[in-house]
Amino acid sequence: MKKLFFAISALLLIHTSFAQKRYFTKTGTVSFQAGTALEDIDGTNKSTTTVFDASSGQIEFSLLVKGFEFKSALMQEHFNENYMESDKYPKSIFKGKITNIDKVNFQKEGNYPVTVKGTLELHGVTKDVETNGTFKVAGEGVESVAEFVVTLEDYKIAIPGVVKDKISKTAKIKVNCNYAVLK
Amino acid sequence: MYAFLVIFFAAAGFGFYLYNKKPADVRKLSANYELSAASLLEDFNKDEKAATLKYLEKVIAVTGKVADIKVDASGQATVFLDSGDPLAGVTCSFYDEEAKSLAGVQKGSTVTIKGNCTGKLMDVVLNKCSINK
Repeated sequence: MKKLFFAISALLLIHTSFAQKRYFTKTGTVSFQAGTALEDIDGTNKSTTTVFDASSGQIEFSLLVKGFEFKSALMQEHFNENYMESDKYPKSIFKGKITNIDKVNFQKEGNYPVTVKGTLELHGVTKDVETNGTFKVAGEGVESVAEFVVTLEDYKIAIPGVVKDKISKTAKIKVNCNYAVLK
Repeated sequence: MYAFLVIFFAAAGFGFYLYNKKPADVRKLSANYELSAASLLEDFNKDEKAATLKYLEKVIAVTGKVADIKVDASGQATVFLDSGDPLAGVTCSFYDEEAKSLAGVQKGSTVTIKGNCTGKLMDVVLNKCSINK
């Protein structure tokens, strides 16, 4: 009986270690809004690479700052040259952990609220970020949606006085990624 | 006085033009570089800084074998080109309007895609892509 119990628990253990999955995509979308009532300022990056581990909750995003697309040429130029200095700081990286990954059942379709804690590297400055988001489990895939606000000053992004009424002091960042199981 | 007014309106007009100018339509630009996915990746692997200086924000026509095509629910289309390296390729993010041009494209077929180079993460990334017929 004891032997049987050990055999079953060993099998269960093997089963759980096999269940450790990583989810991945190279086509995550990250967009930001930094406009005010006077002017809409937004950009979208559609080639964000991101991976998370379904058991530990470790999650990582990286994107190329030059990959943000704008509706105005001038906005894009100012974004890259004056604010983000994307020649000097070409990448932005978020590394963190989903603190309640154990509440997500990847076997069962549905929406799960998640909390993410980590550090965001932007414009050469690394700062702590914490936010809430949603994991939507559908079939083999997971869609993640999150939104958070960064203060531009924290990342040493300076806004010249002449445009300070047009550009918000904070940027709202939206993340939307469709993950597939990494094989 | 008239001359002053003319200059004033010309300057205002130019300012307005700049303010409203759309980003360049990469589909209408001719490629600065034409090369294979493998050699583009090789350039980045050899010296990422030098390759970034050379290719960043340039229009590139890259030819390679289609490893995968992904079109998501919002209609956003991305083509992954095989470079021969299993860990890295070329990610080509398409203009939304160009997604339909991918309908006849098969995995494994060889295509030439034109886009704007934004640098390298795991893959070399191009955005504002369209397929060269």
